[in-house]
Amino acid sequence: MSSLPTIPMKKNALMRFSEWLTVSRFVIIACALLCLWLVFVPLASLLYVAFAEDTPEGPGAFTFDNFINAYTVDHLWNLVENSVIFAIGSSALTLVVGVAIAWVVERTDAPGRSIFHGLSLIAFAIPGLIIAMAWALTLSPNIGWGNDVLKSMFGLTEAPFDIFTMGGMIWVLSSHYFPLAYLLMGPAFRVLDIRMEEAAVVSGAKNWQVTRRVTMPLLKPALLSTLLLIFVRAIESFEVPLLLGQPSGINVFTTEIRDAIAEAPPEFGYSSALGLTLLAICIIGVYFYRRATRHAEAYATITGKGYMPTPLRLGVWRWPVTIMTGLVFVLALGLPLFTLVWQSFYFKTVPNVDLIKDFTLESYVYILEYPVFLSGLKNSAMLGAMSATIVVFLGFVMAWIVQRTRMKYAWTLDAIAFIPIAIPSVIIGASILFAYLILPIPVYNTIWILLIAYVTMYLPYGMRFASGGMIQIHKELEEVAEVSGATLMQTFRRVLMPLMSPVLMAAWLYIFVMGVRELTASLFLAGPTTQVLGTISLTLWEEGGSFGNVAAISVIQIVPLVMIVGLMRYMENKVSKRG
Amino acid sequence: MLTIEALEKTFITRDGSTVAAVGGVSLELDTGNLLTLLGPSGCGKTTTLRSVAGLEKPDAGRIIIDGTIVFDAAQNINVPANRRGIGMVFQSYAIWPHMSVFENVAFPMRVSQDQKYTNGEIEKMVARALEMVRLEGYEKRSSTQLSGGQQQRLALARGLVREPKLLLLDEPLSNLDAKLREQMRFELKRLQLELDITTLYVTHDQGEALALSNEIAVMNSGHVIQRGAPYDIYHKPITEFVAGFVGSTNFLRGFVESAVAGDGMGTVATPHGIIRCLFSKNASLKDDIIIVIRPEDVVLSDKAPAEGGNHFEGKITNRIFLGEVIDYLIEAGDEEIRVRANPECDFEIGAMVNITLPPDKCVGLAEAGEIAA
Repeated sequence: MSSLPTIPMKKNALMRFSEWLTVSRFVIIACALLCLWLVFVPLASLLYVAFAEDTPEGPGAFTFDNFINAYTVDHLWNLVENSVIFAIGSSALTLVVGVAIAWVVERTDAPGRSIFHGLSLIAFAIPGLIIAMAWALTLSPNIGWGNDVLKSMFGLTEAPFDIFTMGGMIWVLSSHYFPLAYLLMGPAFRVLDIRMEEAAVVSGAKNWQVTRRVTMPLLKPALLSTLLLIFVRAIESFEVPLLLGQPSGINVFTTEIRDAIAEAPPEFGYSSALGLTLLAICIIGVYFYRRATRHAEAYATITGKGYMPTPLRLGVWRWPVTIMTGLVFVLALGLPLFTLVWQSFYFKTVPNVDLIKDFTLESYVYILEYPVFLSGLKNSAMLGAMSATIVVFLGFVMAWIVQRTRMKYAWTLDAIAFIPIAIPSVIIGASILFAYLILPIPVYNTIWILLIAYVTMYLPYGMRFASGGMIQIHKELEEVAEVSGATLMQTFRRVLMPLMSPVLMAAWLYIFVMGVRELTASLFLAGPTTQVLGTISLTLWEEGGSFGNVAAISVIQIVPLVMIVGLMRYMENKVSKRG
Repeated sequence: MLTIEALEKTFITRDGSTVAAVGGVSLELDTGNLLTLLGPSGCGKTTTLRSVAGLEKPDAGRIIIDGTIVFDAAQNINVPANRRGIGMVFQSYAIWPHMSVFENVAFPMRVSQDQKYTNGEIEKMVARALEMVRLEGYEKRSSTQLSGGQQQRLALARGLVREPKLLLLDEPLSNLDAKLREQMRFELKRLQLELDITTLYVTHDQGEALALSNEIAVMNSGHVIQRGAPYDIYHKPITEFVAGFVGSTNFLRGFVESAVAGDGMGTVATPHGIIRCLFSKNASLKDDIIIVIRPEDVVLSDKAPAEGGNHFEGKITNRIFLGEVIDYLIEAGDEEIRVRANPECDFEIGAMVNITLPPDKCVGLAEAGEIAA
């Protein structure tokens, strides 16, 4: 043993620290700290402002007045009632339609199933604001062409539909969200091993018994989690209540918070106090969502080799089922899209129009010459690209920390990065506004404050994509690289990144699309020179000039977004083929 | 070549409780030998192997590879895995699906820190490694097009390409089907002999361990229970655990009837009478004893042998014909004895037979004492 090389030299703490702090470790720590900052600073400022007096100089002394103001408002009960009815109504309708379509697409032999899948992705790409505007243009009692057509067809004196009602709001939000419910439920139907149902049949169960005792219990976690997720997204939705609820006095939490901040002088404290309630509701919803999905693996019934999903043979019902499903898409997706395209080319509505003589490109010319349109387009594209890049990078690094290092409490990073999913965009926008009005960081009225908001909001999505991708990659693939002599960076570059690139690309595109669609948070944070497509579209709508202009700017946004979604679908296919 | 001293590793589970995966393991492995760590899952064998690789940081102990301390808890030395210069084959093979066969094998040279390789050198080394595992001509194939057995060879080629001082194999055959496994066993033995490469092998399969090793270390709950040549591990187990884990065994209970000093024959009183057997350790009068005997060592006959003891009667309760042998279950008193016999030794269910236990095949174990000194 005496010949062994020994290292008796004592090292001081600083030397040991600098040795320990390699480039990769530095990057990892920096990412974790950035993530903590992004999530906790807005929440802290929200709390702070909620308990501080509103003064012209900013938040003042400690007070409970904001809560007293907010919770003694006589219409508070009304606010809660509206929000909850709206959220429950739309999540229920969304779930029913979404589940029906998931069943048709995944479990039957109805023709055209892949078309429905593609249409659902397209529906996801269309901004909520545009959907709300399209429905207003279709079924408004005054200007809706749909009502006009029905009136002249049936000789009615009054418009048969009014979109500016609670029912209208629920319908519009559901028409926007049901593809999401389908996309969430689809995998659950897909992995449901048909042999479990067959085993029930062989054991003597009748069809309805199989459904009640086997299929439904197996689908329960997926159903519950989808319902909760849509509930949360409905209660935090802003565009539909803003465009369709407020005109007829139907206020919900999100619109009330926005109004309080848009007022002069702004009531920051009051809106924060309301925001905390909304946040609490969302956190409870997300908590139950996480609980419902916690044991999801236990229900994953993919059985590896030899698993062949056998679709239910519909026989003579094949075409009727397809037509019914198609009709849902025509009504919910086709109608608003048709309205937008039509209105962007024609000023007159459907009855009594000359297809050739009345055709005009005036609306498009107007939009292209609209003073802030091009800068808004540039801002949106840049914000989408930058936030997607940062979020994907952060998600990748943090998923790696959580899954691959043995660091104590690494899993808390996962939980922290997931928090923003429970924070409504309205609150993200408001609290980031407060935070950077208070903090001496000069980002107010710049594009950077928008970037901070976008990155915060999309962090959970980046994390989910990255962890999902990383779980599929066996840890030994990296370990063998390490044993072969590769450094951490070489392992990242040569092994992990190439293996994960399709997933990371898909994540990037997904987040880019969300960034370009963004309206709610931007509304609080966009300054005169930092308008984005969403805020410009809303301004055009609120100016109330020509609906053709609104339609034209919508079409201009929809076309590239739909193309990107097509690209995403292509990437997804590549990923699943490799698996 | 490889020295492991007093290695300890404790894992902390998510709920905060600690699990001692390795509790003070010391091993030595000479150049050119193959040492197998054999044990049930969770016995600490893989943690020991991964500590040697540098993929796991032990809490205490020392690891020396070829005269270099790669880990020493006391001196705070921990050479990272990418600096230990070892070859390793994983249970899942860990073949990179985005690289060709050639690139998989070339990887260790491509990422080398100490030495830069020219393309010509890399090509030569890869070609030789692939030839060793009989995969020549597959260079351009995508690694995902290989069969399970070929992927296994590829993983081996990648582990061997730098001609490491030490090769670590983590259950390399467990993902292959029975026939391929048998074939790869011979292949591994051939390679190990040809290259004379020092190898640490981890498996839970006693057949593999017996077939491949120069030496076996049987592990259980973080400790090495017995070390020895395959023959000794099989025929002279020192604890009930080793006897039960390596091959199937009969256990007969009794107590010492005549004291034994050192290794040697002694007699044990059992419900079946006095049985003479081998002792590996001192045993004093009246000590509780378990007699261990392998099913294939038991002799069956119609009548009691004319002379010598160590025999008693039993009744055949079941028999299974396996081709080259017949397995019998025999009821003798309160105990059930398994016997593996030659097919010529043919008895019907229900028949009374005479059971003889050859004294030199019976091993007497003291019931206490799980851990080897």
